[in-house]
Amino acid sequence: MSFGQHHETSCQDVLNAMIFFIDQEINDSNQLMALEVHFQQCPPCLQEMEYERKVINQMKKLLASSCNETAPEELHARIAAQTALLAAQMSAPTQFVTEYRQSQTTVITDENGSVVIEETHIQIQSTNEFGEFGKDFPLS
Amino acid sequence: MTVTLWPMASEIEVKTPAGLLAKESAVDRANRFTNDAMQYTNQLYAAALRYTKNPHDAQDLVQDTYAKAFTSFHQFEPGTNLKAWLYRILTTTFINNYRKDQRRPQISDGEIEDWQLAESASHTSDQGKSAEDEVLENMPDGDVKNALEEIPEEFRLAVYYADVEGYSYKEIAEILGIPSGTVMSRLHRGRKLLRELLVAYAKDRGYAKGFGES
Repeated sequence: MSFGQHHETSCQDVLNAMIFFIDQEINDSNQLMALEVHFQQCPPCLQEMEYERKVINQMKKLLASSCNETAPEELHARIAAQTALLAAQMSAPTQFVTEYRQSQTTVITDENGSVVIEETHIQIQSTNEFGEFGKDFPLS
Repeated sequence: MTVTLWPMASEIEVKTPAGLLAKESAVDRANRFTNDAMQYTNQLYAAALRYTKNPHDAQDLVQDTYAKAFTSFHQFEPGTNLKAWLYRILTTTFINNYRKDQRRPQISDGEIEDWQLAESASHTSDQGKSAEDEVLENMPDGDVKNALEEIPEEFRLAVYYADVEGYSYKEIAEILGIPSGTVMSRLHRGRKLLRELLVAYAKDRGYAKGFGES
């Protein structure tokens, strides 16, 4: 809808735009001024707008007083615990690798008195997924 | 004879994957989140009740919303509206996890463009309309809550965010993930439905003076 020239703004245009005026959703300053001028000059439109605004404001008050539930204490506690848990999981690595290495030396003496030395190397690698050891190894 | 020596050479090494350390530590993030976001729990709960219509689901929805908000808190741009950001997450969490009948037909937005025609054809205001303010004057809170629950979800949420939270059309569009024009039509239609219902309740109870007479 356009009503750039305020003296030509029709009541129809004003009534169509009325709700946007009440909701303060008219950002175009020319449009806003055209409406304001029209309301000054047209008592029926002004009356209609003021009535509508009154009812909307009444409704807002009614809604505000009926929709003001507060969350139970338990919910606040649940969310605090959840945040702490998520933070703990987040500070742990998503995955970490543990390597275990060991060398074993075996000395064998046979009946002839000769000595044989055997060396064995063991390497074990394990991968731990997120959360399993994360809490035990703070790595920050 | 066999002698086995277990030398001290054993070692355990923990390898940390690269790129693990974020700029903000988890503890710092938790503190920032607690300071900034936790103050909205009551408001999120009241809004969640508009989505789920029952306290049990509303609590779960709020808790899930906070979990999602915390894990994506690094995406929140400081200085922008945190409460609206949380409401956006509330909405997407509800749509993904809680909406019971996902396949229920959505109200097409083309159907509700007639609000202008219905709302403001002329100055000739009918008798009923002019007494709405008197009806609302004596309206019990319970009736308002019931009426809000009765109107379809799309309208209910638009009305809630505009008339309880005071958000602009544009902000509501971002919270609900719909175009501003759709917010506009849902809000206007929602208000109208709500008023019609409240007038009907008042008539039923006989405390509407200006209605149904003559």
